[in-house]
Amino acid sequence: MIARITPTVVAICILFVSTRANAQAAPPAAHQDVAFDFMNLLSQHGLHDLDDERWNAYGQFTYISSWKLPFHAPYTNANGSINSLLPNYERSFTATFTLFFGAKLWRGGEAYFVPELISERGLSQLRGIGGAIQNFELQKTGSEIPQIYRARLFYRQMIDLGGDHLVGDSNPMQLGRILNRRRLVFTIGNFTVLDVFDHNSVTWDPRQTFFNMAFMTHASWDFAADARGYSVGSAAEFYWDDWALRIGRMAPPQHPNVLPLDFKIWEHYADVIEVEHDHVLFGQPGAVRLLGYRNYEVTGKFADAIAAYKADPKKNAASCTSYNYGSENFSAPDLCWVRKPNAKLGIGINLEQSVARDVGLFARAMYSDGQTEVDAFNSADRDFSFGAVAKGTLWRRPFDVAGVGIGLSWISAIHAQYLNMGGVDGFIGDGHLNQAAEGVFDVFYSVNILKAIWLAADYQFLWNPGFNADRGPVHILGAKIHAEF
Amino acid sequence: MPNFNITQRPTLFLITVAILLSASHASAQQQVRGFAVDRFYTSAPGGGWLVMDELNMHGSFGGAIALNLGYASNPLRITNGVQSLSVVSHQAIADFGFAFTYDRIRLYLNLATPFAIKGQSGNIANNSYTGPSVDWGSNPDVLLDARVGFDARIFGRPGSPFRLGASAQLFIPSGKPADYETDGTWRGMIRALFAGDVSFWTYAAHIGVHIRPLNEAKIDGAPRGSELLFGVATGPRLWVGRATAIIVGPEIYGETAFKSFFSSPATGLEALMSARIESLGDNRANFRIKLGAGGGLSPYFGAAQWRVVLAVELFGCKDVKH
Repeated sequence: MIARITPTVVAICILFVSTRANAQAAPPAAHQDVAFDFMNLLSQHGLHDLDDERWNAYGQFTYISSWKLPFHAPYTNANGSINSLLPNYERSFTATFTLFFGAKLWRGGEAYFVPELISERGLSQLRGIGGAIQNFELQKTGSEIPQIYRARLFYRQMIDLGGDHLVGDSNPMQLGRILNRRRLVFTIGNFTVLDVFDHNSVTWDPRQTFFNMAFMTHASWDFAADARGYSVGSAAEFYWDDWALRIGRMAPPQHPNVLPLDFKIWEHYADVIEVEHDHVLFGQPGAVRLLGYRNYEVTGKFADAIAAYKADPKKNAASCTSYNYGSENFSAPDLCWVRKPNAKLGIGINLEQSVARDVGLFARAMYSDGQTEVDAFNSADRDFSFGAVAKGTLWRRPFDVAGVGIGLSWISAIHAQYLNMGGVDGFIGDGHLNQAAEGVFDVFYSVNILKAIWLAADYQFLWNPGFNADRGPVHILGAKIHAEF
Repeated sequence: MPNFNITQRPTLFLITVAILLSASHASAQQQVRGFAVDRFYTSAPGGGWLVMDELNMHGSFGGAIALNLGYASNPLRITNGVQSLSVVSHQAIADFGFAFTYDRIRLYLNLATPFAIKGQSGNIANNSYTGPSVDWGSNPDVLLDARVGFDARIFGRPGSPFRLGASAQLFIPSGKPADYETDGTWRGMIRALFAGDVSFWTYAAHIGVHIRPLNEAKIDGAPRGSELLFGVATGPRLWVGRATAIIVGPEIYGETAFKSFFSSPATGLEALMSARIESLGDNRANFRIKLGAGGGLSPYFGAAQWRVVLAVELFGCKDVKH
């Protein structure tokens, strides 16, 4: 189903194909014309043309705090395994500050530069949760000491092919301009694959909607990225009225879940293809997207790790001599013994449907093969999430946002066997496993102040953390302040 | 996503063995922690020269975007008279600048990302240096110290024979000292800026103080606290069209630590031969392409043995304020 996309094919496709406008290791939200931000301010004073921009500059600040209440756990980090969510009270936080610069270079050519600062502390050092990590910003590595880094630096070229006109609003990573509904868009450089693929205008920017990572993208899409969620690569998009085709290739990390990238993109890579159709149902807009991916990266297969351990128990988790996660479990297999180039496949669907003005439903589902370890995102092998998001138009607070959603994820049978033997992957492994689906119920309300600041409260009910029915459930409370300018 | 458990036992083992084996030598060697080696402080976006500033801000609301691509050979080379060690032998950096201007003031931000910072490791002059090995693969998202600046023209009009300005810059630490990307401390600069145009001749200069907390006086090539900054640039402006000009001329700039005032190990002096072409026909959208090549007149203290710079600036303002 998902063909192996060779570099040649990618190159050919790039010649014929590409963007959608805005997108982040979670894409930023669109700014409304009435929002209080820097570009609107200039425009209101006649100093900037939002409809035909030569440049723009936006920024955001987000602080999220999460409180995990104590929960039931008959065992934690059993037999020297190390990836359990700790059962005691914990607090986690993230703070991010991002600037978005864009400039028009020539006709259709645009360059974007996005520096970002992050400070963070994960729950249990980001261990013990599979597909439903309570704060989506934790996909980015960091420390409590703030770090500045280059999140994005990419070039985008649009080629108009005719058709009706669209207004491309001025937004972070999108210059305001008139677009054609038929166009090619090429993106090359340093960005996140989520800037181009798997958009959903109902859940749109996680900084304005759900706190939980399960709603940011497919939990089981192991998209190529460094430890901050960004990578280097190229993408092409082809828009033809209500249809869009996207294709891309990105560089994977040098080892699973680390910052350095493997630039030998012809040897190790992550290919992705997506088809989108936009529709109108009962007078309301909606969209369907099908996404397939194939990664070819240096990873370990669970079956290989189990076989290696059974053949020679000295090849256990505690005696690894190459890249490993630090488990001290002498009676467990480990992926460190079997890493080599392996393929990973997955296919997913992404649905969005407006049901009333400013009220939308969404759903995502993906099936990945589940044979190899997590290389860049999280440990889930299958996922299904759905929910609803409403802006406060109905209750006369149009900038407020409320939402409720459920995210479910699963692991494959061989992944479960590996974990039950005490193995660990990048993020989970309690030393023992009573396999079950991991799930989260997430509800939030975000109050807008001054058209530029949002204060949000969030509650999450997380069951079977780490796909382990013996542990949990977990109650997590959250609060957020988010500002855009 | 990040993983906090990563270990690579062989690497740790080898490091441990190496430390044990070198223990007898190490007792007399001081390990250098690293610092911000780059002393090529680009002019503000839209500033005109590569290092100096024309102080030609004008009009109502305006702005500038700048990209400086620079390569420096041997910006940190330590010698004891007999041996030498290129602690930082290659440094390739892309610097992005963004500025807003209004009338005679400018507010700007510069962010630089290294393509490569490479060097040699070794012991020399009683110090143990570990050369950096930075590239886009191993360090895919590094940013060097972020620079936030404010410039104001205090005296003179754009294009006048004498213009006087003041500049303040703040460096926000980013990157790793061990890779010679940052001091790991906040730094600041306060400068007086001078510029002018006399007939077809143009000039610019600056003098100021680099407020630098890091003082590692026992380490060759390392910062020794706050520094005096100085520099001058001059050359003819040759008009090749109604709105296009070429400016060719040298830029000489450097710094010296106050604690070793103008002593050779604590003074860096570089000269660049610069040429730029600029289009100034439309206040709304102008551009400038700049090229510079040169090297260290006194190749110490971060002054590169040789350096090449290519820069592009897009700048303009909404309208001219009368």
